[in-house]
Amino acid sequence: MTRVALIAAVTLALAACGGSGHARGKPLVIVVNAPFSRTPYLGRTIENGVRLAVGEVNAAGLRVGGTSYELRVQTKDSALSPARAVSNVRSAADEHAVAVVDEGTGIDASWRVARGLPICIVFAGGAGAVDPATRPNVFRIAPTDHGVAFRLAEYLIPKHLRIALLHDDSDYGAAGASALGAAFSQNRSSVAVDETVPADALDLGPQVLRARRAHATALLVWGRPATIASAIAAARSSGWDVPVFAPPTGADPFVRQQLADHPSWVNGLTFAGGRLTAEVGPGPFTSFEQRYEGAYGVDRVGVKTRAGQQVLEPPETAMYAYDFVNLLAAALLKAGSIDPGKVTRALEEVTTEGANGDERAFNRSNHEGVVDDDVYFARFSDMTYAPVKDDPLSATLPTIDQTR
Amino acid sequence: MQGPDLRHDHDPPRLRILLAAGATALAVTPLAVAAQYSPLPSPAAPLSNVPPLGGGASSSTERVHHRVDAVTTVRVAINRHGAPFAVTATQSLDVQVIGDYFFTIGAPVATVEAAPGSDSTPGLRTASIVWAGFNPGRRRLTARATLEPARASAALPLRVEVSSGVTTLVNETAVTVGTIVADVERAPLLRYYDALRAAKTPVAGAAFLTSDPQRTTVTVRAPLQVSGTIGARRISRVLTGRLAVPAAGVVRLTVRPVRPAFRPAAALSGRALLARVTTTLLTLARVRQYQSFLGNPDPAGANATTYRYVTARRPRPLAAAEPVSSGRDWARTMAIVAGAVIAVGAAGVAWSRS
Repeated sequence: MTRVALIAAVTLALAACGGSGHARGKPLVIVVNAPFSRTPYLGRTIENGVRLAVGEVNAAGLRVGGTSYELRVQTKDSALSPARAVSNVRSAADEHAVAVVDEGTGIDASWRVARGLPICIVFAGGAGAVDPATRPNVFRIAPTDHGVAFRLAEYLIPKHLRIALLHDDSDYGAAGASALGAAFSQNRSSVAVDETVPADALDLGPQVLRARRAHATALLVWGRPATIASAIAAARSSGWDVPVFAPPTGADPFVRQQLADHPSWVNGLTFAGGRLTAEVGPGPFTSFEQRYEGAYGVDRVGVKTRAGQQVLEPPETAMYAYDFVNLLAAALLKAGSIDPGKVTRALEEVTTEGANGDERAFNRSNHEGVVDDDVYFARFSDMTYAPVKDDPLSATLPTIDQTR
Repeated sequence: MQGPDLRHDHDPPRLRILLAAGATALAVTPLAVAAQYSPLPSPAAPLSNVPPLGGGASSSTERVHHRVDAVTTVRVAINRHGAPFAVTATQSLDVQVIGDYFFTIGAPVATVEAAPGSDSTPGLRTASIVWAGFNPGRRRLTARATLEPARASAALPLRVEVSSGVTTLVNETAVTVGTIVADVERAPLLRYYDALRAAKTPVAGAAFLTSDPQRTTVTVRAPLQVSGTIGARRISRVLTGRLAVPAAGVVRLTVRPVRPAFRPAAALSGRALLARVTTTLLTLARVRQYQSFLGNPDPAGANATTYRYVTARRPRPLAAAEPVSSGRDWARTMAIVAGAVIAVGAAGVAWSRS
């Protein structure tokens, strides 16, 4: 039994090398365009998700239009620079890559230079990035700012809270401010104060104090992880036990790392994110997570629970990258061609089972792979999080194990 | 089985297809046995490939069986001769049971958008509408789709013909299917017929044959409740065949497939009773098909389709833009250039001598 497991592990590891072995077909390159030098964790997890799927696709064999292909992965560092991101996509098109898996930086310009090459965003959720009519080659598998904002409004407004909307002045925070503005536009009475705060500020005491004086009964902080950590620290250090809500960055390991000296401050932080599991239960995601960890190891958050267990970060972004590669493989088969235009059109017609067990698909009028309905809410306790029970979707979702 | 709807009621069956229901009944019924159990045609099995359009609807949810009731309105724009040239369908799915959904509604779709009141936005694929999301308990998913007229028109229940001041309405739902004739035990079949009459959702039944069954065919149609106006003339009747109306003008008709009339059967012989029940079941199956023009991802869900036929003008295609012309031809341009050169040259000479 042990031998079988060992053979399976070795096979999987080899498969996960994603094209590093000898070629069994013509090489077909997927470019990962991500900020490897500026946010290494994000770049690496996207790359790993792509490599895991590539290994599995290659192991199964990829024959398109009578020709065998082997998927290869090439990484390009965007360094969070739109100019570099655009340059990377241009070179990907020049080198006849089959697709780009992208963090999202520079997409407003890079989609043009891609010359029809499919680009899939797996992190940034900003509005306007994806539009099948004007940017037919751009797809996204990640929660959108629009979906997160509207789901937060849908969740919070019925609670009759007076919400302080704090958003930082980063691109992410500004996009969030816009999305929140639209989401709460019909219910402005729920908003106690709406304030822009400096990104990465170490002390948000004055802003949080203004929110408190405005009789806010909840903080909704949309910004970089550092902004969220600072807002929590400002509130808790002043003795204000206000509930705090956040977009997906609330689950970023950095928030917990920043607050590691006061673990109790993290308790109760509720964030919106893309669901990690489907109704079939945690089985599919757990299987994906095990394959991911088998190939690349665990992603440690860098904090421990009260019982001393290491806290791990589930590979959410990797899951989106993984799902796109599987959709791409299905599209290549459907198109019977590697022509970018044909592959792009085929991407609108295929459905695959995602790593979380849910259907993953695009269509001709929607290039978003995570629909608004897939946004759920989770709440932290003891440095790990669990789906809330007072939201219909979240209540159906099991908790993913996050400790070892 | 032609219902003598009117004196013009003579239309021969247009569809000659031996299909699932009848074929199934024959396949499971050995032909040379006596007093044996024989299943009757299913009132739910389609008798032809369409409707519903595009292979119908499907659901690929993981574990949840959603209860879905579908209400569809099909708008058929016809020209002054009665020929359809545009078909749109607005389908509202009332989705119950909490959980994920991923529905595919097959149809020859050209465009699709969410209709007012929809809780979500439909997606468009080649030959299908897709719905994906999470149902927190109840969701109304309403899509307005523009269909490819040629393919959608072939599945419409009513044909309109306008000629020489007469508008003829033709029930287009006829289909011929295989079945059997035989003597049967009357009492249980009568009870089933009575239950069928009262049932909101008809269920399949069976008969006990007391003679060797013989193959035959039967043509059935979905009765259509047709109401509205043709010109100034009002129409309201159940149409099972053809109706010539001595009127012309703008057509505004609403058409709904309706259950067949259940005529008294107590006096029928066993053989005639079997024919009556069989025909009724097949007619119910045909009605169900036309009530499901776009299909329903829940096979057990309720369906209703209303067809609205309206005389309209075909939109004019946009005129091609006239090429912009300066009103100057090539020879003229050359002459002007040559003149300019000569003028410049002359000016240069004059200047050099000044």
